[in-house]
Amino acid sequence: MARPHIEPFVDRDVGFKKLNLPGFKKGVHYKMLSMDKETGACTMTVQYDAGFKQPPGFSYSEVEIFLQEGHLMIGDKRCEKGTYIFAPAGTSLPAMSTDEGCLALVFYNFGPPSFQESDADHDKADKSQKRTMVDSYFGMDWQVPTLFPQTAPGCLLKILHLDPKTFAMTFLYCMTPGFWQDNISYHDVAEEAYHIWGTSWMMQFGDLPTGGYFYRPAYINHGCFRSDLGILAIGRTDGDLHNYFHHDPFSTPEENHHRAAAKLARMKPALYQWILTNEHNHLPHDFEYPNDTYDTSGYDSGIHMHDDGSSHSHKSNGPHSHLNQKKKAKK
Amino acid sequence: MSFGSTTIQGNLRPKLTKEELAFVKQELAEQLERYQKIVQEQEALTPQREKWVKEFLHRIQTRGYHVHAGIKRVIPKEEVRPRDGRPLQVIF
Ligand SMILES: [Fe+2]
Repeated sequence: MARPHIEPFVDRDVGFKKLNLPGFKKGVHYKMLSMDKETGACTMTVQYDAGFKQPPGFSYSEVEIFLQEGHLMIGDKRCEKGTYIFAPAGTSLPAMSTDEGCLALVFYNFGPPSFQESDADHDKADKSQKRTMVDSYFGMDWQVPTLFPQTAPGCLLKILHLDPKTFAMTFLYCMTPGFWQDNISYHDVAEEAYHIWGTSWMMQFGDLPTGGYFYRPAYINHGCFRSDLGILAIGRTDGDLHNYFHHDPFSTPEENHHRAAAKLARMKPALYQWILTNEHNHLPHDFEYPNDTYDTSGYDSGIHMHDDGSSHSHKSNGPHSHLNQKKKAKK
Repeated sequence: MSFGSTTIQGNLRPKLTKEELAFVKQELAEQLERYQKIVQEQEALTPQREKWVKEFLHRIQTRGYHVHAGIKRVIPKEEVRPRDGRPLQVIF
């Protein structure tokens, strides 16, 4: 399991800490929201103090920055709140400064926070991705999601970044005042989100107010949903988002996982049967990305639940089958 | 899976420095404390949550369940899976 299930965590309840890592300039304070146990990749709320100045430089990790409050000068461009920046690993960003200070959400995707002063890119910088900067508040329109099945009316999206291979995405979302959705959802992917403004409610976790955050591994039930006054939030997934809706509040992540596999077997029987022959050397291969390799040595769902209700992380050791594990018929 | 693009294999400096290792160790220790606090808080919410679940099961059998977007369906009683003593764990 890369990151534990952190839900909910309200960053307004804790104070900022000074970021003391070498490379960073004075005036950077942070609140850690979640961290990957293996790589140190993390999501943080970051406060840049008034007068903060940083020369041009790069991070060894891919970085995403979302400006929540105040403004930030990036080179000679004045970035207002709502600005979203995607910087591939090793690409140099211009000098940054802020007179009045600002509040941001910063995602280091591959490792702990790092900054190396440099006006040139790292020689191994990721050139396959473009550095992007968008004004998400005034430069983009809200869209109705086009997933099937889809969230209830009143939940709108702005896609800030989409990974072309995995469909992992970073997005702004809102719920209109009076939003409600009476179903329970889970996904094949992890989800994380931060409330920029407003409170929403979920049947499992209660209210998530402004400054509220969650990191939720795949297959965990969430919903039903409600928001009385509406919300504005930023969210991410680590792969393609499909909404598995149902109405059993007591189903376990393991049952949800089985149900997702059953759905795949029903809807894509040829693919499902082919996957089952994996132990006969049918490793995934994509002629569009011939150099990609796929880790099939072990799968870590992040969760493993027992009949007594306790759970722990479960990592399989190489190919094995769950086919003969008869579930206790509970219905 | 992890967040971020899949076009490169991760951090350009894969071996963490001494300072980064100490930072990660400290943050992971604090994260474990945050996790344990969340587990306790969510445990304390159990009686309230049981009430919310009852209300949800009532609503989907009266007002309707969201199947897709604005399409709702009233769930007949026989389609509601019996609880049969199953626990309601929400943090994993
Ligand atoms: Fe979700």
